[in-house]
Amino acid sequence: MFKKVLIANRGEIAVRVIRTLREMGVGSVAVYSEADRSSLHVRLADEAVCIGPAMARESYLSIPAIISAALVTGADAIHPGYGFLSENADFSAACRDNGITFIGPSPKSIQQLGHKAEARKMAVKAGIPVTPGTKDCVYKDAAAQAAKIGYPIMIKAAAGGGGKGIRIVREASQLANEMNMAQSESKAAFGNGDVYFEKYIELPRHIEVQFARDSHGHTIAFPERDCSIQRRHQKLVEESPSPAVGKKLRDSLEEAAVKLAEAANYVGVGTVEFLLTQTGEFYFMEVNTRLQVEHPVTEFITGFDLVREQLLAASGEKLSYTAGHSVPYRGHAIEHRVNAEDFTRNFAPSVGRVEEWLVPGGPGVRVDTHVYAGYNLPVYYDSMLAKLIVWAPDRASAVARSRRALVDFKVKGVHTTIDAHKLIIESPDFQAGKTDTGFMERLLAPAEPVKA
Amino acid sequence: MDVKTLTKMTKWMESTDLEEITWRSGDDKISLKLNNNPEHNTTIASTMEPVLSPSIGIFRFARPGKTNHLKEGSSVKAGFELGVVEVGKDFKSVTAPSNGLLKIISIEEGKPVEYGQPLFFIEPK
Repeated sequence: MFKKVLIANRGEIAVRVIRTLREMGVGSVAVYSEADRSSLHVRLADEAVCIGPAMARESYLSIPAIISAALVTGADAIHPGYGFLSENADFSAACRDNGITFIGPSPKSIQQLGHKAEARKMAVKAGIPVTPGTKDCVYKDAAAQAAKIGYPIMIKAAAGGGGKGIRIVREASQLANEMNMAQSESKAAFGNGDVYFEKYIELPRHIEVQFARDSHGHTIAFPERDCSIQRRHQKLVEESPSPAVGKKLRDSLEEAAVKLAEAANYVGVGTVEFLLTQTGEFYFMEVNTRLQVEHPVTEFITGFDLVREQLLAASGEKLSYTAGHSVPYRGHAIEHRVNAEDFTRNFAPSVGRVEEWLVPGGPGVRVDTHVYAGYNLPVYYDSMLAKLIVWAPDRASAVARSRRALVDFKVKGVHTTIDAHKLIIESPDFQAGKTDTGFMERLLAPAEPVKA
Repeated sequence: MDVKTLTKMTKWMESTDLEEITWRSGDDKISLKLNNNPEHNTTIASTMEPVLSPSIGIFRFARPGKTNHLKEGSSVKAGFELGVVEVGKDFKSVTAPSNGLLKIISIEEGKPVEYGQPLFFIEPK
C-alpha cells in the first residue's frame, strides 16, 4: 500500500479521499490554489501545498505543478478525484513517467474508453447492446437507412458534440428536409457536413453501473444507480437501486459492465452509463474512467468504500471482495446534490459568505462537504456545496428520511438548491419512482416554484 | 482629548467586544473603530517588496552549470534573475521587480517552494 497520497482536487471529493486515507493509515497531501487557502481539504490533510493562482488552468489543471507538488512532498501516488485531470490520459502518463502511481486506469484505458466511438466499438465487440444507428455516415439511401433503424431517429453531426448539430425526425416525410438542414448546419458549425443516424429514445432513464477491477482479474459490478433526475444534463438526484430495474435486468446490466471491464483489461473503478427505454431495453452510452460524484449511494447500500477499492487496485493488491462478480446490497439510498444556486431564478449561481451552516445527521444520513460556517465561496469553481445522502431499508422510508434531512439542512448567506430537492421529493411521480430525463423540465414547467 | 485619554480608551476598547464607539462633547466628536478583521490585520506596513515564487517546485539560485553570488545587502536591478524554480524539466525565472537593495534572502538552495511563497525581500531605491 502507498505511504503518502496527493489529492489533485479540491472541494468535497478531496475531503472524501482524505478521510479514507486517514482510516487506512496512509499520509495525505492536499494541493490548493490561492483562492482555496481556507478550504476544508487544506485543513484536514496531513500536508498542504499551494500550487498556483485561482484559475484552475494554472493550478488544478496544471500537470507540471501537480507532478512537482508530488515530487517535493514525496507522495508515491496521486488520487485525481473527479473532474479536473481525472480523465486525462496525458496526466496519467505524466504520473507514470515520474514514478508516481496514478490512482485510476492506465493512459491506454482512459483513451480507449474515454473516446466515444472507440468505447462504442469495444461495447459492440463485448456483445453489449448499443443504440441502433448507422455504422458510418449517411451519404445515400437515407430513407432506407432511416426506415431500417425505425422512427423516431436523430440526425447527428459526425463532427458535432455537446448536443449541437442534432435533429430529431419523427416520420419519413420529414426526413429529406431535416437531412438538408442538418447537413448545412453541420457544415456551418463544424466545417463538415457529414451526418449519421441514431435511434431517438423518447424519455429514457439514465442508468449506470459501477464496476471495480484489480490487476489479478477480479471484477465486481455493483447494483445500478438511477441518475434520471437531471437539469440540462446536470444530475441533481441519484438513487440506488433504480425503481425501474428488477432482478433480471440488474443481472444483465451488471453482466454487461463486467464484460466491458474485462474486454478493456481495466484496472481501477469505473462506471458504464446506459440509456434505459420505457419498455425496459438498455443501450450502452459511455464509460466514465473515474470515481463519480454519486458513488456514495453505492457505498451506502453495499457497505463498500470505493476509494479504498481504488487504492487497493492501484497498488496492485486484490479488491476487498473476490467471491464473485456481484455483491449483496441492502435497502435504498438517495443522493441530493446541494448547489449554491438560486432555483427560483433559473438556477443562477449564488456566491458569498456562508453565514450559517447546519448539516443534518441522525440515522442513515451522510453529508459529504467542504463547507463550514464562515466559508467564503470562491467564484472560480463549480457550485456544489454538499452531497446529502440518505439510506433506509426501503425506498419509501428513504424518501421520508430525505424529507426529514432536507428540513434539518439550514444554510444562510447563499442560495442553495435545498428547496428544489424538497420540491422533487414531494412530487407524486418521484414518490412512485416514475422518473426519466424529462422529469425536471415537467416539474419546473407548470407552476411557479414555491417560495422558500 | 489628549493622547493619554485616547490611549486609555483604545486599550479599554480592546478589552471589550465593542467594535466602534463615538464620543461627543460640545463641538468635539471622536469615533474609534477597532479593526478586528484578521484579513486586514495581516497587512504589515513595510517599504520592502517581497519576491514571490512563480510556481511550486525546487528553488535554485542559478540555472544548471551557472553560479550566482547573491548576498544580503547587494544591490540589484529590475529584471535581474535572482534564481529559478525547477518544475519538472522546466525552470521558472525569479526576477527582481525593481531596482533596490536585496535585504533578506528567505530561501536556501534546493529547498521546495510553494506558489506565492516569499523568497526575497527587496528595498526599492
